[in-house]
Amino acid sequence: MDSASFLARVGDYHKAGWRLALINVTTVIAAPAPPHGAAAEPAAPATDAPTADAAPASQAASVFEIAWAFAKDREFETIREQITVGDAVPSISEFFGAAFLYENEIRELFGINVTGIGLDLQGQLYKTVTKVPFSHQAIKARLAATAAAAAAASAASAAAAEKKA
Amino acid sequence: MSFFSRSPWILHYDGSSCNGCDIEVLACLTPLYDVERFGVLNTGNPKHADILLVTGSVNEKNIEIIENLYRQMPDPKVVVAVGACACSGGIFARAYNIQGGIDKVVPVDVYVPGCAARPESIIDGVVQGIAALEQKRKKTA
Amino acid sequence: MKRTVVPFGPQHPVLPEPLVLDLILEDEKVLDAIPTIGYIHRGLEMMVERVEYTEMGFVVERICGICSFMHGMGYCVSLETIMNIEIPERAAWLRLIWAEISRIQSHLLWLGLGADAFGFENLFMHCWRMREQILDIFEKTTGGRIIHSVNRIGGVKRDMSDTELAAILVQLQDLGKQFKKTANVFGTDPSIAHRLGGVGVLSMEDARAVDCVGPMARASGIATDTRLIGANYYDRIELEPVVETAGDCLARVVVRMREIDQSIDIIRQAIDKMPKGEGMPLETKPRGNPMGEVFTRLEQPRGEVLYYVKANGTKNLERFRARTPTFANIPAMIKLVKGCELADVPNIILTIDPCISCTER
Ligand code: SF4
Repeated sequence: MDSASFLARVGDYHKAGWRLALINVTTVIAAPAPPHGAAAEPAAPATDAPTADAAPASQAASVFEIAWAFAKDREFETIREQITVGDAVPSISEFFGAAFLYENEIRELFGINVTGIGLDLQGQLYKTVTKVPFSHQAIKARLAATAAAAAAASAASAAAAEKKA
Repeated sequence: MSFFSRSPWILHYDGSSCNGCDIEVLACLTPLYDVERFGVLNTGNPKHADILLVTGSVNEKNIEIIENLYRQMPDPKVVVAVGACACSGGIFARAYNIQGGIDKVVPVDVYVPGCAARPESIIDGVVQGIAALEQKRKKTA
Repeated sequence: MKRTVVPFGPQHPVLPEPLVLDLILEDEKVLDAIPTIGYIHRGLEMMVERVEYTEMGFVVERICGICSFMHGMGYCVSLETIMNIEIPERAAWLRLIWAEISRIQSHLLWLGLGADAFGFENLFMHCWRMREQILDIFEKTTGGRIIHSVNRIGGVKRDMSDTELAAILVQLQDLGKQFKKTANVFGTDPSIAHRLGGVGVLSMEDARAVDCVGPMARASGIATDTRLIGANYYDRIELEPVVETAGDCLARVVVRMREIDQSIDIIRQAIDKMPKGEGMPLETKPRGNPMGEVFTRLEQPRGEVLYYVKANGTKNLERFRARTPTFANIPAMIKLVKGCELADVPNIILTIDPCISCTER
């Protein structure tokens, strides 16, 4: 992302009297392959399927979507940026003093490097068990664990049904 | 000394609860339920307390606080876990920062179920806690 | 002069919830306050990975037990917007009524806690006695005192009959009259005025600079109220934001007291305007899985709450984020605590009406 022009835009919101409403990050995870039998879309032609599938998936695997939301009375606007893992994001504390909480949170939960936070809490805000719980690896690990648990449960219930029969 | 055992002092600590059980504990103190008429007193000081009432489950950060509070209380002492969260982690049991019920950290004597636990059941839990306290006192005496 | 660091919390007599401030003192003056939160952090937002969107509402309701209804409503409204569901009229009115009843409940609760913090245990008892009447209404109409679970995606689960509504209104108006007496004490007692007046003053400029919301902003003279955006049938209600200009702790108390009256009036208007009758539809069943994203804003008792929901067409949402009012008000609290006397810290912290479990989720 282009820091200078981004900060200029934020500065414009500040000058116009907007209020910082939220800084939100979404970890973009490529949707898992639909379980067989539940495929929503008709299968794509076999020829271009691998390329079409592989490209966005690998790209999306390392992307965060950040939205800075501003509110003013009834209006509500957002600035959105996509960054890849490892990119630094400039802090907007110089315009909006209240941004420090959001930014500390983002750094702790998502592992995004936010530079120049007004009040830097040094990763002591939440102190979670899982470090960086919303990083791509952490989410994928949890999704895999959930899927494995579901599979085990269904296998167990199938076995139980067999026993009964 | 039975008059003494009927008047336990309670230390309330809010683990990672949603406030629901928490305010129900407070509601027990207020005119409709009014446990103070039984001599039950809510204190802020662990060194005065007989019963530790914990709402909410254990997470990474409050684990040491609960341990610490428990250690500071004089023997005999009783722990009452209020609400599904404190008993087992409740609805949040599968969230990443929750380690489970408070029996992961300190021994629990009475479990009060409910989400949110009703004041009646909290009072009932405290009364059972008093019985447990009495037993412990006899054992140590 | 020597500096002392006093840790405030996590277990403190005035705080029902754990919050830690490291207060850096010079003599009795607070120079700086460094917040640490996370004692209630559960990681609730990640639950979307484990529970389906239809069930997530029950988790969201447990973000906080005080505004439980509003959280459930916010979640359902978000999904209704994504899935393009128009909810039945009666359901929308019922939501509005319940929401306002929760506001009264929350303000009474807070007034009690506030009174307890500045040493008026008697007032605490009175406020909570009145609050029990509200909880009775909740229990009668939803089945739960604290966690109601009446919101569903597409409407509400239960109806209130017209006679019941009329009775509730009478009961609330009666409560309003009782509350006048208590409000009078808050307003005229010299020791309360002495304890709260002129303490923790947040000027209008400062309030804008720290982006605070809700009663906190309104007590500093900013006429902001998310209900004014008119969503969720609030456009059919006449409503004037309650504004005070002093910006001190007392003003924040007064704003909340006046809002109780305002909410009773809103409920009166709503009962007047809603369609009457038995057996009206209460739910539009959602179909399929949601796809899309939305920001939803609501006015909770503590201020504006913001939900971000992103759905990707599967049963599990991709992202759920709630920015609760206390999260937005913490910078204001830190600003106020800096430079105040140590003895005023509990009052200042309480007058922002902190809800820590909301903040940390
Ligand atoms: S048991 Fe339910 S009401 Fe009590 S703290 Fe847990 S989620 Fe909240």
